[in-house]
Amino acid sequence: MAGNTSKIADVLIIGSGASGLIAAKHLTTAGFDVVCLEQGQPVDHGKFWGDKPEFELMTQKLWHPNPNVRDLESDYPIDTTESDVPILMYSGVGGTTILYGAHWQRFMPSDFRVKTLDGVGEDWPISYEDLEPYYDEMDLEIGVSGLGGDTAFPPGKAPPLPPLPLGKMGRKAADGMNKLGWHWWPAPNSIASRAYNGRNACALRGTCRNGCVEGAKASFDLTHLPIAMKHGLRLITGARVREVLVNEQGLATGAVYVDRSGRERRQLARTVMVCCNGVGTPRLLLNSRSSRFPDGLANSSGLVGRNLMLHPYSTVIGHFEECLDSWMGPAGQPIQSMQFYETDENRGFVRGAKWHVLPGGGPLGGPPAPGRPFDEAWGAAFHRNRDRVFGRSFEWGIMAEDLPEESNRVVLHPTLTDSDGVPAAKILYNYSENTKRISAFHLARAKEAMEASGASSVTVRGLMTDRSMHNTGASLMATGHLMGTCRMGNDASRSVVNQWGQAHDVPNLYIFDGSVFVTGAGFNPTGTIAAIALRAVKHFIANRRDQEVAA
Amino acid sequence: MTRFIEDDLRATFISIADVLIPAYENLPVASEVDVGGPILDRILSLRDDIRDSFFRGLRAAAGKSPDVAARELNEQDPTALATIGLVAAAAYYMDPRVKQLIGYPGQARYEIDPAAQPDYLLDNILQPVIDRGPIYRPTPK
Repeated sequence: MAGNTSKIADVLIIGSGASGLIAAKHLTTAGFDVVCLEQGQPVDHGKFWGDKPEFELMTQKLWHPNPNVRDLESDYPIDTTESDVPILMYSGVGGTTILYGAHWQRFMPSDFRVKTLDGVGEDWPISYEDLEPYYDEMDLEIGVSGLGGDTAFPPGKAPPLPPLPLGKMGRKAADGMNKLGWHWWPAPNSIASRAYNGRNACALRGTCRNGCVEGAKASFDLTHLPIAMKHGLRLITGARVREVLVNEQGLATGAVYVDRSGRERRQLARTVMVCCNGVGTPRLLLNSRSSRFPDGLANSSGLVGRNLMLHPYSTVIGHFEECLDSWMGPAGQPIQSMQFYETDENRGFVRGAKWHVLPGGGPLGGPPAPGRPFDEAWGAAFHRNRDRVFGRSFEWGIMAEDLPEESNRVVLHPTLTDSDGVPAAKILYNYSENTKRISAFHLARAKEAMEASGASSVTVRGLMTDRSMHNTGASLMATGHLMGTCRMGNDASRSVVNQWGQAHDVPNLYIFDGSVFVTGAGFNPTGTIAAIALRAVKHFIANRRDQEVAA
Repeated sequence: MTRFIEDDLRATFISIADVLIPAYENLPVASEVDVGGPILDRILSLRDDIRDSFFRGLRAAAGKSPDVAARELNEQDPTALATIGLVAAAAYYMDPRVKQLIGYPGQARYEIDPAAQPDYLLDNILQPVIDRGPIYRPTPK
């Protein structure tokens, strides 16, 4: 028997990542009584390793973005044995923004009209123009660094902070793109290039993806949580939600969670907002089965968990004769390119990919993989390999747009559970032929770009194919972009939520995370997750009197 | 500091580390920067997840010539050899002398000078991109 948490909240938010804390900030500021349940714990930024000699060693375990590698109690296991792509995420206050690369991207207008323009996927029920004011507002809320006028986007407001330095790497990459006449632009990052709203300026340590020790990166525990707490947010950590509760009328009434003493508790609420990411949200809804919702909550369409998109990743690493200080940040991205983003059917595929420059990291980097021929890895080769790579290499990362396919999905694992006995997620995901062609084409172009920049040699890393490497350091070849598994739409038979994140089947249940994406575009998703969440929560607040709630 | 490794296995580790990371040009052999000293215990204290394969490899190597042992491990237990290599390389690259010799300051701070001219403005490098104009497809009517 679950014990009740005494007070019924106006809104229960499940998950304290980007979308959950955006909702929490705006709801509490508007006077709502809000409870947020988070399975992880607050993150002590003083425990990041970025300013310590052991940094590289520790990023390979405790601060690794793969939950199966970290294997903390707050992580739930994810079975990827039937997936081409491993899954990255972080469970804790701030969610995956603790470890994200902070590439703060907008989608392009065509991303919302893929069906109309390219005859594939589905159109979104909203347009770029619908989201643009919320992109602008989020830029201010989190302090984006970037440069207005990017020719890959419609004219609009510039980010509030100047871009981070290109550095030697960015300059080298830009030189090559200019020789080829290809697009590039100083990239937008949710990393403060100047002190901003209590955050420090970036110090270019290059440790962004393992926790920012400078307090410069916009993780949402820094940007949004303090304001929400100031306005009365009740944050309950270590709260692993087992299921969302519904009443006989089919309205959400709260959730059952397990606390860190192992006790089941109930948190009741008038409205429930699920913000658990593109894997955690369908997992929770599929675990929330009842006689009224035997296939999982809000799943009359059968689409909960389906259309999973993960941004399959490939990369071209250029090695240069001169030192480029390529252990330095931002990491983060100094420059990006959308030269081959839009569809050109002459290429033999539709859609495309965003490119971004990433630094090469420190000397420990990726130590020789197990089983590599001895004389290629050790002895004098150990030194030669370092001299070729360390400080002299950077990558063009290629983030392919994978189109929605119902067969790519999140399901409940038949036997595997988290540490509280809640069924874990299993990923079923295969690369499409279109994705393979995108990757092959872009790798060839990126190799040309590296050579135009003067690379003395190039290493090409195509799509990850060895599933046995998923739970190793090789999983860093994944993006952690989890999208599409509860998509939005106007047709309740073809979507899970409407454009405001409201479940078609349960009018007081909302989803605000990347699950609601109709297509994945080829951009890092957090900027769009945030804009969608902001737009949706503002709509919710404005229409609060019309909201149907459980009695 | 707590010692995580017995003397005989520590000696085995040092001998294998010297095979994996020999002297090279102006760089020292692994043992010369004391990869088997306190830094080894610190690494093992911080990364309990690697202890099993680390010690498994060292026990298998005990009593053999380090070169033979390392090569055998790479064939027969590559995970163990990779773990020993990771520990040796981590210890090596944390040594201040090695860092200096390879030109690595660590993941150091660099102040961004707000008064400096932004590097995207140098040499007018963005102008060609601007001159080519928009490359996006607008929202269809």
